[in-house]
Amino acid sequence: MEKSFLIAGFGGQGVLLAGEVLANAFMYAGKNVTWYPSYGAEMRGGTVNCSVKMSDTEIGSVQDSTSDYIIVLNQASFDRFLPSVSKNGTIIVNTSLASDTKVRDDINYVFFPITQTADEKLNSTKMTNIIALGILARATGLLDLKDLEKALDTVIPPHRKNLLPLNLQALKIGYEYDLLHV
Amino acid sequence: MVECLKDKKVLTKGNYAIANAAVLAGCQCYFGYPITPQSEIGEFMSGKMQELGRAYVSAESELAAINMVIGAVSTGVKAMTSSSSCAVALMQEGLSYAAADELPVVLVSVMRGGPGLGNIYPSQGDYFQATKGGGDGDYKLIVLAPSTVQECADLTYKAFYLAQKYRNPTVLLADGMLGQMMEPVEYKQNPYPEIDNSNWALTGAKGRKGRIIRSYAPLASDRCEFLEKLYKKYKLIEENETEWEEIGVEDADVVLVSFGGTARNVKIAAKMCREKGIKAGVLRPITLFPFPHKRLFELSKKVKKFITVEVNMGQMVNDVRLAVNGNAPVELIHKPVGIPPAPEEIVKQIEELI
Amino acid sequence: MAEQVFKIPDSIKKNAKFSYCPGCDHGVATRLVAEVIDELGIREKTILAASVGCSVTLYDFLEIDSLEAPHGRAMAEATGIKRACPDKFVFTYQGDGDFASIGLAESMHAALRGENISAICINNTTYGMTGGQLGPTTIMGQKTTTSPTGRNREYYGYPIKIAEHIALCDGTAYSARVSLDTVANIRKAKQAIKKAFEVQLKGLGFGFVEILSTCPTNWKMTPDKAHERVRNEMMPVFKLGVYKDITAEG
Repeated sequence: MEKSFLIAGFGGQGVLLAGEVLANAFMYAGKNVTWYPSYGAEMRGGTVNCSVKMSDTEIGSVQDSTSDYIIVLNQASFDRFLPSVSKNGTIIVNTSLASDTKVRDDINYVFFPITQTADEKLNSTKMTNIIALGILARATGLLDLKDLEKALDTVIPPHRKNLLPLNLQALKIGYEYDLLHV
Repeated sequence: MVECLKDKKVLTKGNYAIANAAVLAGCQCYFGYPITPQSEIGEFMSGKMQELGRAYVSAESELAAINMVIGAVSTGVKAMTSSSSCAVALMQEGLSYAAADELPVVLVSVMRGGPGLGNIYPSQGDYFQATKGGGDGDYKLIVLAPSTVQECADLTYKAFYLAQKYRNPTVLLADGMLGQMMEPVEYKQNPYPEIDNSNWALTGAKGRKGRIIRSYAPLASDRCEFLEKLYKKYKLIEENETEWEEIGVEDADVVLVSFGGTARNVKIAAKMCREKGIKAGVLRPITLFPFPHKRLFELSKKVKKFITVEVNMGQMVNDVRLAVNGNAPVELIHKPVGIPPAPEEIVKQIEELI
Repeated sequence: MAEQVFKIPDSIKKNAKFSYCPGCDHGVATRLVAEVIDELGIREKTILAASVGCSVTLYDFLEIDSLEAPHGRAMAEATGIKRACPDKFVFTYQGDGDFASIGLAESMHAALRGENISAICINNTTYGMTGGQLGPTTIMGQKTTTSPTGRNREYYGYPIKIAEHIALCDGTAYSARVSLDTVANIRKAKQAIKKAFEVQLKGLGFGFVEILSTCPTNWKMTPDKAHERVRNEMMPVFKLGVYKDITAEG
């Protein structure tokens, strides 16, 4: 099995970090994994994205023209990456910041007001990226929450470890998004 | 920032893997000037070298950086610099001197788009720069081309070892994709032995006559003798150190030749070809000098076609043609710059070419 | 009993034959460097980063370890040597072209970083080895093979005053300009070289001496006339003196 992921948003939304957490989680699950960022000039403002691939076999290309799962955290990312969702793939849309959402009938959608939820439940819009990972884990069924938690612990640097509990909470909120939705 | 952890798998950027491995390989001095897409190497080194009480200098230019490395390695210690494309161009003079002085300089070259200022995207456009050199005179650099982040680490150890073993400047030739991407890495113990430098290194002429490390040889006869000796060494390197990976070449009709990050996609493409009934194999040179031309020549007697796949306008294809020496046609699939062509795209082009 | 009043310094290679042109001040400068190395007792821990130009031949005369640098890069190589081996004594011996033209960036930045390195720069107002072309220190009006009507502002701009520039760098511990035209000045030059070496040994920073020197061959002058030129034409432009000495009292 090989699956490809893309996370996109604007600078400051923690897009690269979320990808790193995702990739680490797959590594802990014993998968081959790659992470590849948009880098350089693109990092200053505008949209940021990173691709993550996981596979049971050797991974060739680190970034494909389409991805099986795409998380878009803002409108610009939605507009840019909607065509990049693989057929029968899934796009997770942060409706707090992407409200103008055209629909493709050959893919699956998860619409969720991620930033708003982060603000209301955690009093921190900065948790948008991690809630999105929780949603991804639940929506795909590909990730064990434990691996994601371990990955968060790895990726959050020592001087920010005080933020770990908040991040774990965000992960859980995302993972239980369908319960919230009801 | 990644720590120097041994025996533990960590998800790491290629640039950090290189820097980390260099520290573990015993690199005592780092000299460099920032350039995308390899700046993480210098950033990592600035902290780590100071923490370990080793040397780090933020050089005023790449010209200065390579010469600082030359100065440091002349004393017998391991030292390195890292840079990219248009800035590696500035180092060519130093590399020629280091080759002539037979000094174990280690350069990490993380390729980006060229020529000129080019762009910051991945590229393999400096195959010529690394293997043919831009400095003056007859010389060769040992060139190692990693294909995965794990190899970025492993070949960094090897670069320091080969540089010391042959007293020859050695280049680790990566690209922007390998530098920026993350993959799990395990930092193994440095598998290579330490080389004794005491018979040539500059340590102060204590109890002995002064040593001069120089390339200036005013007499024609001196120069002839020197070059003959240098080329004997290069021949030895070719005999001992040529390294490549091959997959499914024994029964192959088509052999795909590709190095570095591009070879990742090529391996997948070869698999897809097999599924379609095309007998494709892969030969991935790991050392670009020495180049596996003997193996390519052997294969050329039974292979119907060679296809090189590169992210440039076609550079290594020339070496493959030389190696094959007319025994089989050699075609090129390439993309000018960026991440390598997708495996599906490579397969499509292979189908057109055969 | 005869008393020995003159001997070849220990740091000079046995049977070394000087290849400098007759009357060139490089010979005197080389001897002073050797004497100072002897007096400080540092021969066995000294490493020279050699330059390109007439000054490169120093490694043929001194019994020390030497690394030949590309043109202008001696200071970068010296930096590498010193950072790799902080306990060694590291110095460069460069011409004005090597130090202040092609290698100006390396020289200034070594001084700015306060590298514990000593540098000697021979200023003879010309590119000597290549046949007397205009260099960074060629003075206004001076005729050379590439300034046939004399240096002027329109075509060439102005000469650099090296010792003053190096003195402006915060990392410089000592910067002086000396001359070898008289015995008294030769003695002062030796003291300056010693000082520039000592600041390194004490870990105080960059030590620098600019030596006004003759080039009788390219100037097409006798050694005597050449020294007169140093006094009459060079010294008014390149004033002798100590421009920085952080060890000085007050």
